[in-house]
Amino acid sequence: MRFSDFTSYDLILLAQGLGTNIALFLVTSLIGLLIGLGWALVRFYRVPVLAQIVTFLSELLKNSPVLVQLFLVFFGLPALLHIRVTPVTAATITLSANTAAFVYVIAVSAIESIEREQVEAARVFGITRWQVLRHIVTPQAAAFAVGPLVALLVNQLQVTSLISVIGVVDLTKIGHILNMRTLKPFVVWTVVGLLYYGAAKLVALLGERFENRLRAHSAWRGL
Amino acid sequence: MHFDLSILLPHLGFLARGAELTAAACALSLVGSVVMGALVAIARTSASSTLRRIAFIYVDLFRNVPFIVQLFFFYYGLPELGIYIDAFTTGVVALSIAGGAYASDTIRAGILAIDQGIIDAAEVSGLSRRKIFTRIVLPIALRTSVRPLGSVLINMILTSSILSTITLNELTGSAQIVVSQTYRPFEVYVVLLCAYAALTYLVSLAVTLLHRHLNRDMMEAVG
Repeated sequence: MRFSDFTSYDLILLAQGLGTNIALFLVTSLIGLLIGLGWALVRFYRVPVLAQIVTFLSELLKNSPVLVQLFLVFFGLPALLHIRVTPVTAATITLSANTAAFVYVIAVSAIESIEREQVEAARVFGITRWQVLRHIVTPQAAAFAVGPLVALLVNQLQVTSLISVIGVVDLTKIGHILNMRTLKPFVVWTVVGLLYYGAAKLVALLGERFENRLRAHSAWRGL
Repeated sequence: MHFDLSILLPHLGFLARGAELTAAACALSLVGSVVMGALVAIARTSASSTLRRIAFIYVDLFRNVPFIVQLFFFYYGLPELGIYIDAFTTGVVALSIAGGAYASDTIRAGILAIDQGIIDAAEVSGLSRRKIFTRIVLPIALRTSVRPLGSVLINMILTSSILSTITLNELTGSAQIVVSQTYRPFEVYVVLLCAYAALTYLVSLAVTLLHRHLNRDMMEAVG
């Protein structure tokens, strides 16, 4: 019976689990952001064939469960290609691709939110497409996209909890272990839930600060 | 490298039964979450500040805690309270509560978008407050929020794959069983991914049609 009680070491376990979630969240968000922006560039330059492939891929990733994507990468890829894929690698690949799909959609709608006249006017002045992108499209699109991106990040943080299913020892997995050992589901899952909640709130808060900063130049400061 | 979809043929019936279970769970949860969402939307638009606060906490909490943690909380926690329900019921309850948090937002937006003149007219006609709400406010709010409720449903279909982690053999759970029988994870999960994408695509088409049909008298306003 001795081992069925909570110990102070459990706190370290929980912290480690949360750390795994946050680390994977940060890494996959960064990779996903870069890939998603790359896909948006492919679309912006209207690269033939590739643009269609990218759109199809992002629709497929957006409209299927992350759990199935994880299974496909973790169980499917090794079976097809006879390679070794660790749970963390599989989680990184899947979450990055999934984030990229959503970033792509946000980036495309942000680019489309800019009136065609602006781009046309700039082109009339002889500005290249790259300069249009850099000086006219990107600053406005970034201000448009930051709100949806923060909402996406808060969501992706929660999605990281699914990696426990393929055996990554994250906060949910730790919760599972503690639940099985102590048989106190209410305490364990409440603590785990609150830790996720706190992390999500932190991401939302940081995102809001960043958004305010981006918009500071256009905000009315009074007289 | 070896890719052969024909090995799935003998298992299609089994997968179809899993899909039926997914459909049943999602249909019940959709009803549950719309009811839950409507109740919470009433609370969030009510005059009482206590009700508003409670409703806000509910929405905030269930939107910022990962669904898998909520699910484990119910699945392992409810028997502790002496409530013994099967995995299917637990899944539907958890999906309804989580979906209700999202549905309440869209229904609330629908309520807030109602022209004050309509409510004034109803009050002048001598309808009771209860009648005004159930016969006038709610039908209009639900009608205009069909499209966002559709995306709640699509999210629910994708989220329902997580029910496989509490031993419910819905579509994803059945696929895992097929994998363990055929040892062909790549083929199974690729098909599963496409099946979910096709399913959600069909649902979004149906929702658009329903939205157009219900709002046919105000097409220019809602598009």
